[in-house]
Amino acid sequence: MTATGKATGTALVVDDSSVNRLVLVRRLETLGLDVLQAENGMEALAVLGGKAGVVDVVLLDVLMPELDGYETLAAMKADEATLHIPVLIVSGVEDQDSVVRCIELGATDYLTKPINPSILAARINASLAAKRLHDLEQESLARQTALNRTIERQKEELSRFLSPQIAALVSSPEGELLLAGHRREITVAFCDLRGFTAFAEQADPETLFDVLAEYHRMMGEAITEHGGTLEHFAGDGVMIFFNDPILQDDHVERAVRMAVAMRARFAELSEAWRHHGYELGFGVGIAVGYATLGRIGFEGRHDYGAIGNVTILASRLSSQAKGGQILLSPRAQMMIEELVESESVGELTLKGLTRPVLASNVVALR
Amino acid sequence: MPDAEPAVLDKTVLAELQATTGDDLAFVRELVETYLADVPIQLEGIADAIGADDAAALVRPAHTLKSSSATVGAMRLAGVARELEMTGRSGTLDAGGRDGLERARAEWRAASEVLQTWLAGNVSR
Repeated sequence: MTATGKATGTALVVDDSSVNRLVLVRRLETLGLDVLQAENGMEALAVLGGKAGVVDVVLLDVLMPELDGYETLAAMKADEATLHIPVLIVSGVEDQDSVVRCIELGATDYLTKPINPSILAARINASLAAKRLHDLEQESLARQTALNRTIERQKEELSRFLSPQIAALVSSPEGELLLAGHRREITVAFCDLRGFTAFAEQADPETLFDVLAEYHRMMGEAITEHGGTLEHFAGDGVMIFFNDPILQDDHVERAVRMAVAMRARFAELSEAWRHHGYELGFGVGIAVGYATLGRIGFEGRHDYGAIGNVTILASRLSSQAKGGQILLSPRAQMMIEELVESESVGELTLKGLTRPVLASNVVALR
Repeated sequence: MPDAEPAVLDKTVLAELQATTGDDLAFVRELVETYLADVPIQLEGIADAIGADDAAALVRPAHTLKSSSATVGAMRLAGVARELEMTGRSGTLDAGGRDGLERARAEWRAASEVLQTWLAGNVSR
């Protein structure tokens, strides 16, 4: 009902009697509806086939030639497009059995002939309200689906640039809090390539990109397998941290296992590169400590990053690592000493750090 | 048989139709004219069903005649049509069918005469 008390919508009157149709059409028009007509079920289904989205309520006679009310109703209820259109059965007072059967088949309600205008108005308004509610639900569902698709697409797009953990974090409820900044103990693994600068100067751009792509793919696989958070790629340098944003009790172990896996895979890759004359080595530095994590950057270009001595230490250890070495900070070494076979490489003087650091190289996993 | 036979035409039915359609005499006239054109079609359907001794085929035209007659207030014809519909539903026509057809035709003649008179006396301005 609108403010003026008129119903709005489109009704389809299905009756083989022209006299009955005339009365019903007139009554419905008086209520404010647009009315379509059909002389039997076949015609009704044809009208619905063309205008299923338009019809808001169907008034259906039971006894009709071609296709009777039962068959019409069954066909409507079997079709996704017409399933939700309310159907009012129009029958004689003596046809209560057929009404029951129609309600069982999915009819909304019924009207007895001769039509009482007040009852007709009440039934029509109830049906239109139900139909409108259903239409609104459908619209809202469609909007929600479209929105979800957009979000999924954005997430997918995002995950190509970000690590899966961070892409997931961005869309999680606690994401805003984590992004705002927090302090946590993490393990940082910093990897880079020995001989990369010289290689980059000599190699043609295609070769350079091919080699980097292969290297990054291998790294990416290992990072994902071990649940690391990729902070950034900077040419050959890759920084990964553990225990954030997802908490990992075994973050040191994960970092070391990842580094060992990378070293093994890198050995295969570098074998192939060596045949092409590229001499590249793989070095890793691993350190444990507290860092501040969160959104770093400026509007339009933010990264999820870690800031703290631990990242500097890992990076410096990585620069000191010779090809094939995985250098652990003293704390990292302490936390996993029973899991690895390591050898001390002595005290290293690292840039930016006042005191020398006693580092050790991971020889193998135990 | 009921105590009092209903009138050939219950005029209150048409009056009420007119009242509930905003005193639209033109509409009620159109309805009566449609009815007058429609009944012969239903009677033909009934005659065909009885001629073919097809009880099932009798139900629909008798049903339609019953409900459209009731709509305009032709209550006696509606009554005969109702009996014919029942006969059709019973599955056997026997003598009731042919007799019913004759009575329907007689009621139809009476009803159409009264309705023609009604039309002549209710000309829309």
